[in-house]
Amino acid sequence: MTADTTWHAGHTLLRAYVEGRLDAVLGASLERHLDGCPACRADIRPLVDPPLLDQSWSGLRTAVESPPPPWLVRLARRLGLPESTGVLLAATASLRTAWLSSAFVALGFAVAATLLRGDVLWPFLLVAPLIPVLGVAAAYGPSEDPFEALAVTAPYGRTRLILVRSLAVLVTSVPGACLLGLAVPGPAWVAVAWLGPALTMLPLVLALASWVGPRLAGAVMALVWCGVVLGSVRRLPATWPVEATQQLTYLALATAAVAVLLVRSRRTRRIGAVL
Amino acid sequence: MTVDLIGVGKSYAGTAALSDITLSFGRGVTGLLGPNGAGKTTLLRIVATSIAADRGRVRLLGGDPHASHAELTQVRRGLGYLPQELGYPGDMTTYGFVEYVAVLKEWNDRRARQREVRRVLELVGLADLAGKRVAKLSGGQRRRVGLAQALLGDPRLLVLDEPTTGLDPAQRATLRRTLSVVAHEATVLLSTHQTEDVAALCERVVVLAAGQVRFDGTVVDLVATAAGRVWLTDHDVPDAAVTWRTGTGRHRVVGGSPPPGAESAEPTLEDAYLLMLGADAAVSALPA
Amino acid sequence: METADGNHQARGDADLLRAAADGDLAALRELHDRHAPWLTARLLRRCNDREVVVDVVQDTFLTMWQDARKWRGDGELAGWLWGIAFRRMVSRLRARKAVVLMPDWDAGATGMLPAAEDQVLLGVEYGDLGDALRRLSPAFRAVVQACVLDGLTTREASRLLGVRENTVKTRLHRAKAQLRCSLADARLEGWR
Repeated sequence: MTADTTWHAGHTLLRAYVEGRLDAVLGASLERHLDGCPACRADIRPLVDPPLLDQSWSGLRTAVESPPPPWLVRLARRLGLPESTGVLLAATASLRTAWLSSAFVALGFAVAATLLRGDVLWPFLLVAPLIPVLGVAAAYGPSEDPFEALAVTAPYGRTRLILVRSLAVLVTSVPGACLLGLAVPGPAWVAVAWLGPALTMLPLVLALASWVGPRLAGAVMALVWCGVVLGSVRRLPATWPVEATQQLTYLALATAAVAVLLVRSRRTRRIGAVL
Repeated sequence: MTVDLIGVGKSYAGTAALSDITLSFGRGVTGLLGPNGAGKTTLLRIVATSIAADRGRVRLLGGDPHASHAELTQVRRGLGYLPQELGYPGDMTTYGFVEYVAVLKEWNDRRARQREVRRVLELVGLADLAGKRVAKLSGGQRRRVGLAQALLGDPRLLVLDEPTTGLDPAQRATLRRTLSVVAHEATVLLSTHQTEDVAALCERVVVLAAGQVRFDGTVVDLVATAAGRVWLTDHDVPDAAVTWRTGTGRHRVVGGSPPPGAESAEPTLEDAYLLMLGADAAVSALPA
Repeated sequence: METADGNHQARGDADLLRAAADGDLAALRELHDRHAPWLTARLLRRCNDREVVVDVVQDTFLTMWQDARKWRGDGELAGWLWGIAFRRMVSRLRARKAVVLMPDWDAGATGMLPAAEDQVLLGVEYGDLGDALRRLSPAFRAVVQACVLDGLTTREASRLLGVRENTVKTRLHRAKAQLRCSLADARLEGWR
């Protein structure tokens, strides 16, 4: 087909095309021409119903301005989470696929380790509770983040923000970890027993963070838990860290931590408070 | 008055960053001038409720931010703040970042929020870059993103810490235009190193040095303090307090006794500022 | 700094696409202004559900923006965009179990074009082929429309029409044979 570059479709022809009055062959012929003729393409523009063009532009622009949030946040929104909270969560590092997948890969390795040496539980018991805890510490955002200097001056409650993020981290990490826990050798209740220390360390980390900041608090908590698990490996049974007596201790600690948190957040909800 | 500071003081690790500051600000633009370490950022952070003063009383927008959390939140609702250094969480787009701050400022309705974000981006001239990652913007453009978020919601109190850093002269002119539009109804407090910004934008100026107020009044009055104390001469004057060679090859001398054969020159804001602060200011405020 | 609208209008598609991929909304807008109208019109000829068409156009530009690096710049941007758009529409409508409308092949039923323009148009693009195309038996029309005119592969056409790929290939082969017979010595560029 030679392209006769001096020929252009006139207004009448284009109108007939847009209104559907050209048959298939003529239409195809015109379409072939349009493929290579910017001038005729421009001439079509005034003939197309403007609302159609406005709608497609407006949708396109929104999609480009704010790229879709992580799928978890999208899912949460569909389940009823208010859209504005979704915006805040979308920027949380520990809800991003990268963070979550590395957390679960770590847990996967821990489970594999327990399966390989059928009589050990400590890799799983060590890693599982730390996932939500470290996730929450990471959910604060980088410490001394210049953005925090701004976020602190906004009316949105900082406490609320941290709690919402912590909850989100918990919700996303618990089901997967429990599922992986079922694969671990030993009694089945281990798959949920690790929640005990996890739910204890969360308020502990938050409380500690209100004094020394999230990074240090997370690190301290991780070290303490490592000490508990590894210290008990040699002389005590494999499930010791999550047995009933210990769980009661954890409960007591958790209650104390929550009380401290409440007092602290109420008293120090002034300028400059971390929580 | 929108902002009232009475006897405000703040110390860091024993050294006083601010001592006994008593100032009041109302509608219009006030410039905060001073060398590095003068306490400008500390003062602005106190006004923006980012940190708390150690001593003295602070009243903002008719409320006391230290009285209760509720009053603090109420004050923050009328506040817009651009910190000296602003960071951006993750890999956000320009629009995404401003939207994030909008949610922090309690814009819960999606459509209203979208309109407002687009409005402020338009105001600072970044509407076309709304989809671009903040990490890929130039320094001046990032500063404008920061300004955009500060303008969300038309705050009655706007606190800008070095808004013109990193902007070239054309961009600074645009910023001045934007601010002059905004300043009609609001109280704007901005800090800067550049005396031209103050001269172009502010009716009122406060000069801070070593944590204390050295001058508080109109720009015109500040300039007047240097009247009759600025000269132009052809020869170098090595022992003068503040002197430099201008682009035309002559030497400008500020302060001290008039050099022989010199002619009087019309004082500028910069002259007055240098005169007030002496040699300490000269190092940090040399003309580009 | 952002350039004024005038600058954008003078730039080529490849340039604009690069700028748009980088985040320049004004460039993206110009690309949308240039290509959304004809895309919308062309899609509407095949599917009269306006909502679907608007969605597809939007998706097409979004894909264009996201995959901008994939376009080598060879040939026209328009061709690439149509490929994305039509395939997107086909998969959307298939999911809804609706049929993609084909433009009407019977010249008598539509069109009130003056003969002269008719001839000029045919002379430009398909020449004698136009007539031959009209004389194709109906069985072959759909295949020709899908594969040749709309640019689908035989596999995609088979999915669209609900027949086996071999059937599509056979029909296409026979259609081309029929066309070749209809034409004494047509230049079969692109039809081999």
